[in-house]
Amino acid sequence: MDLSINFKQVTHTYQPESPFAHQALQGVSFTIQEHSYTAIIGHTGSGKSTLIQHLNGLLRPTSGEVVVNQQTITANTSNKALINLRRKVGVVFQFPEAQLFEETVLKDIAFAPRNFGMAADQAEKIARKAASMVQLPQTVLKKSPFELSGGQMRRVAIAGILAMQPQILVLDEPTAGLDPRGHQEIMDLFAQLKREQNLTVILVSHQMDDVALYADQVIVLEEGKVIAQQTPRELFNRPKWLRQHHLDLPHAAKFAFDLEKQANLKFEQLPLTEDELADELAKYLPKEGEQ
Amino acid sequence: MNKVLLGRYLPGSSFIHRLDPRSKLVLSFYFIIVIFLANNWSTYLFMLFVVAGCILLAQIKLGFFWKGVQPLIWLILFTVLLQILFSRGGTIFWQWGPFSLTQTGIVSGIYVFFRFVLIIFMSTLLTLTTPPLEIAGALESLLKPLKKIHFPVYEVSLMLSIALRFVPTLIDEAAKIMNAQRSRGVNFDSGSLRQRLNAVVPLLIPLFVSAFNRAEDLATAMEARGYHGGEGRTKYRINQWHLRDTVSVVFFLLVTIVMILLRTW
Repeated sequence: MDLSINFKQVTHTYQPESPFAHQALQGVSFTIQEHSYTAIIGHTGSGKSTLIQHLNGLLRPTSGEVVVNQQTITANTSNKALINLRRKVGVVFQFPEAQLFEETVLKDIAFAPRNFGMAADQAEKIARKAASMVQLPQTVLKKSPFELSGGQMRRVAIAGILAMQPQILVLDEPTAGLDPRGHQEIMDLFAQLKREQNLTVILVSHQMDDVALYADQVIVLEEGKVIAQQTPRELFNRPKWLRQHHLDLPHAAKFAFDLEKQANLKFEQLPLTEDELADELAKYLPKEGEQ
Repeated sequence: MNKVLLGRYLPGSSFIHRLDPRSKLVLSFYFIIVIFLANNWSTYLFMLFVVAGCILLAQIKLGFFWKGVQPLIWLILFTVLLQILFSRGGTIFWQWGPFSLTQTGIVSGIYVFFRFVLIIFMSTLLTLTTPPLEIAGALESLLKPLKKIHFPVYEVSLMLSIALRFVPTLIDEAAKIMNAQRSRGVNFDSGSLRQRLNAVVPLLIPLFVSAFNRAEDLATAMEARGYHGGEGRTKYRINQWHLRDTVSVVFFLLVTIVMILLRTW
């Protein structure tokens, strides 16, 4: 089955025909291949959140059409048709711990599969699996989600989405407010899931290091328009353009540009991650036996 | 969710915007009393002109005011219908059991309609031109005399201003949680009454929990900034009575006099 995502001239206006009308997306077109890892970046208010709400039909385009999972969503698509889509597209919203409500962690994780018609015992099995995926200890499963720490609540919320077994995973700053270690673990988990289950992942992030490390393509939004769609390497190779649009470079790339300028080094390709930077720098080290 | 006009404020610098919130609040209430003086077509016409004049002065598009009427339109039409069907007097056009269509009924139906619309227009004008916090502040200073009978004026106005401040935040929060639960397969818009009630639980519990957390954080932050309660505080927002406020008060007194004259005319 073709799981690619296609936006065709999508426009979204909030509160149309009212004095508060606001156009959040203006003729957005792009294609996301299946099994790819796409990062969406842009300033606050550039339309990122509006865009991702189109992916599972929470919002319908005011004009244009969205094709997800061979299903076309237009302004007239009925709610019923969209519920089917939500099973396939899991969305982890910003600060997803706000969605927890059940008496126990286990029940909360099993909530989504239950909603999509799964039998109770099977939903529980899947919930346990999802909990272990996000490294929740077995002991918390019987606890109330409100007894947990912020980091654990985040994991429960993410497990609740993974339990839906989505084929497309949409992440809206999934690690905002987590400590560096939690951030690393969660981001690695998503990368691992993508590899093992061949998911299509869409990440909204302000962290350019994550974009460089995980994504295979980047979509840049500005004021409701797509202003670039390229690989991270192509994008970060244009520091001047990025500065014009007030976007950052990954730390490794920034350091590499500084080195090129001040130490007169020349890298074959722009290092995007610390590992790549180390590899590039290693080429300048004297080989063993040389002096 | 975003369609709520209640408590919406439109920044501006018109004559009405710059009025003292106290005079605006009092005059809006006063207007509601005055409108009950209206009893014939000339008084209603006059009130219509007064409200139209105020709206012109505020420099706000008429569309906003219709938006204020919209949520109440069924209530208004229902009341109008009752008036029309159950009033007696004048020429009878049609009768069936207890229902009758009479001249008085139609006329008083039209009057009730205008009374509703004018009251809503005026209160919408108040909320559109006054930030919620200023309304709360105005209420506090107007309630001050009640301190004598040990009414907790300060606490009530603090609660009111915090409540007003968090209305949009909570609406945003509710919309966010609703979206998150929709993504997890909750269906808010269809199903039987029972199913719909069940669907509200995953929305209400997180909303309450987040309100508790927010309240705790806010209380901590307030204490950390040296808040001890109402005694001995100074005020940042000080209302000032200007000439324009006196002018408005005089204007409304004149309106009342004209109304009384028109009533008996």
